[in-house]
Amino acid sequence: MRKTCLIALLALAPLFAHGAEPYREYDLAETYEPHVSGDMRLSGSYRHWANPGNLDWRMAGNPDENWKLNWKFMDPPFNSAVHGGHFAMDRGELLFKELNLKGRFAKCLGAGKGGLKGLRARYPMYRADLKRIAGLEEVIESCAAREGRVLQNGSYDNSAVSLFVAGRSNGMPIRIDVGKGVMRDAFERGRTLFHTRAGKLNLACSSCHTHQIGLQLRGTVITTPYGDAAHYPVYRTKYFLQSLHLRFIECNLDTRVQPLMPGSRAYTDLEVFLTGLTNGYPVSVPSERD
Amino acid sequence: MRIATSLACLTMALALPARAAGLPPDAAVNPAAPNKTLEPNVVANSGRLEWVPFKRDLTDWPTLSHEDKRSTAKPRKVKLSQPLNGDPARGREIAQRSDKGYCIVCHQMPGEDWPGTVGLNLSNFKQRKYADEAVFQLLFDARVINAQTVMPPYGTNNILTEQEIRDLVAYLQSIE
Repeated sequence: MRKTCLIALLALAPLFAHGAEPYREYDLAETYEPHVSGDMRLSGSYRHWANPGNLDWRMAGNPDENWKLNWKFMDPPFNSAVHGGHFAMDRGELLFKELNLKGRFAKCLGAGKGGLKGLRARYPMYRADLKRIAGLEEVIESCAAREGRVLQNGSYDNSAVSLFVAGRSNGMPIRIDVGKGVMRDAFERGRTLFHTRAGKLNLACSSCHTHQIGLQLRGTVITTPYGDAAHYPVYRTKYFLQSLHLRFIECNLDTRVQPLMPGSRAYTDLEVFLTGLTNGYPVSVPSERD
Repeated sequence: MRIATSLACLTMALALPARAAGLPPDAAVNPAAPNKTLEPNVVANSGRLEWVPFKRDLTDWPTLSHEDKRSTAKPRKVKLSQPLNGDPARGREIAQRSDKGYCIVCHQMPGEDWPGTVGLNLSNFKQRKYADEAVFQLLFDARVINAQTVMPPYGTNNILTEQEIRDLVAYLQSIE
């Protein structure tokens, strides 16, 4: 009976197939530089936020101009307020110490002789143990599981540990090499995804974040994709602690696109792409955004 | 016997959950729920991510997954049958509601204090003297006119009904 069904389903398969290549639409291709300064060719706002320690406080206080600072006035060191991100970092330190009692957890994350210093600036990276490129949060989940603890990608505790680890690289420039091998391939896939139309409204990330920067969507001014990956996970004042992949989910839902699971290959490729566009910009945590 | 086997096969085929709809395996969905789309809820001091139903079901349209083999709906040319039969008052409501047209996200329109600036300023649309047919096509599927438009295909993607688009045309053509 099962065999008969299988044969029947296989025979019916062509009825459900859409053809070898699905029809998809893309925004016009744009070249991006794998360095934060590439924004000078895209929006030019980089000149206002290139030095995070010396932002123009008058622009930060002006709602017509603050978008030009790419919201970096909500990052340390400019933002010295205590917020939920600090509490999360404290919890992350506690969890890290529990997980790393035998020193295995830090080693699993990729810490070398210098400990955690500089580690966040090198993620995402290719992980031989996972046989794929992974972001820090995916690796935290995997390494925590080896210690017998569940820290799901995107959960509060996972992001708390990620924040603690990132804090040990604060001020160090993001430095991932997307010029060769599998990282280059991921960067290019991420670039294509950034330009791929999807969902009910048929929009791509680039429909707004490349071609409409500085314009308004109601009360929100669209900002550049450059330099945006340095402050994640971020404390969102309107609700929660948010990893970069959870931010992608929010972007998808806002534009009526069915979201994917954190750690999906597509989101990881987008993370590689956006982190490449943040190369040279310092890790800045804990940060907050509205 | 053969009929029984066929019926059983058909039942199995129809019972296939997410895959039958072409959803990729990495989509955040609950195939058994009426609204399949899920959104994450971050629970403080927890290592688990909670998933709750999202207010809309978004599973019918292509995602960003590499494993999504579904096609985007192709641009669709339409012909407006007359009379227009649109209601400007209903059209205005559709333009403002976030679950309908939500035109004010991108466009400046009368009476909106905080409109978007991405799209054309519609404050005096009537003076542009566009034909109803052209406005109807723009709203139904603007890709027919401009392949790179960021205007959502309101008709083709079933965001609005044909009557709602007619109401919007009537409203736009009434803005002095």
